[in-house]
Amino acid sequence: MNASAGDERRQRFDALVAVCYEDMSRYATWLCRDRAIADDVVQEALLRAWKSLDSLRDDAAAKPWLLTIVRRENARYFERRRLDTVDIDELGAAQAAELAHAPDEELLGLREAMLRLEDDYREPLVLQVLVGFSTREIAAHMGLSQGAVLTRLHRARQKLKEDMDSRDTGN
Amino acid sequence: MNCEDYRQAITADPAFDGGAVHANACSGCRAYRDDMRVFDARIAAALAIDVPPLRMPALPDMETDNVVAIGARRFRPMPYALAASVLLAAFAAVRLLMPAPTFDSLADEVLAHLDHEPAALRVTDVPVSERRLARAVPASLARYEPGAALVTYAKTCVINGKDVPHLVIQGEHGPVTILLMSGEKIAAPVPLDGERVHGLIVPVGDGSIAIIGDRGEALEPISAKVLNSVTWTT
Repeated sequence: MNASAGDERRQRFDALVAVCYEDMSRYATWLCRDRAIADDVVQEALLRAWKSLDSLRDDAAAKPWLLTIVRRENARYFERRRLDTVDIDELGAAQAAELAHAPDEELLGLREAMLRLEDDYREPLVLQVLVGFSTREIAAHMGLSQGAVLTRLHRARQKLKEDMDSRDTGN
Repeated sequence: MNCEDYRQAITADPAFDGGAVHANACSGCRAYRDDMRVFDARIAAALAIDVPPLRMPALPDMETDNVVAIGARRFRPMPYALAASVLLAAFAAVRLLMPAPTFDSLADEVLAHLDHEPAALRVTDVPVSERRLARAVPASLARYEPGAALVTYAKTCVINGKDVPHLVIQGEHGPVTILLMSGEKIAAPVPLDGERVHGLIVPVGDGSIAIIGDRGEALEPISAKVLNSVTWTT
């Protein structure tokens, strides 16, 4: 292998990952709702991204490209493992405790509510609020129409609000 | 825009900056918007969980040809070029002697190809230029008349070692991928089943056409139109 070209490739990859890693890790965690699995998914995604780096022609498009790989690796992970469905309430409490590092009470509640949110609603919300994707980018990423994305985002916030309100009133 | 429309838009995207006339005139909606923006800031804080330090996996060395800089390639000694030519010829010979790929492997390759070009699957209403479309579908290979279809992506890709026009049109549920595989003769339609997509490879004369869309997309009418709009010229 040509050393300098290989070095250039590695430098390019490291630079892209340095910019996108936090979003990759958080996105993976909120997708699968498990820190350990998210770490595995990100590792696999990094490996796959490295192998297909030459297909990324525009470095400005690195983030959606890497997040698409994370999304597919997450799906592959669960397809391989065929994990049993777990109780949403138990998962929410356990994972929120693991995910939360000394948050305030409201933040903890909001994380639990996020974990209880169905995948179809949680994912576009994470992409919009955390990653900063536009509705159009979310639609392209998830293979949905923009109308479907807007509906899911609307419903996601409504559900979170309802969940938080019921928590406040103790119901 | 009325209160209901405005609040729906704000709930879907608290950064929504349309409907200013309504918001200025309606104190209730202004208060709703401000509440929603505060709530969104809390959501952002909740999502911003701690991230473990980056652990880079062991990355394998990659093939030279993909990464050699153009400058370096220009001065490559002749023996290497010769060796590369011999290798290429040997590879081509082996490919010729190998049995034709099974339908499953073609299906796998088609689905894998979508993974490699996520940028193609954008929801957009911006068509590619006629020039770009003509470059992706050369007259020597096929004639494609899109008619009313909105072609938003057109590129020549390699599937199973052959140049294949890769087109994307916009369907009801998002982008629909079309691969014009003039050199892939198949005996019967091959279903494609991906994580969130479905589709079909349809035999067309001495070649085949792959049509893949979102799981909710009704591909039959699209397939009928595509099949009517393509003529092989090879």
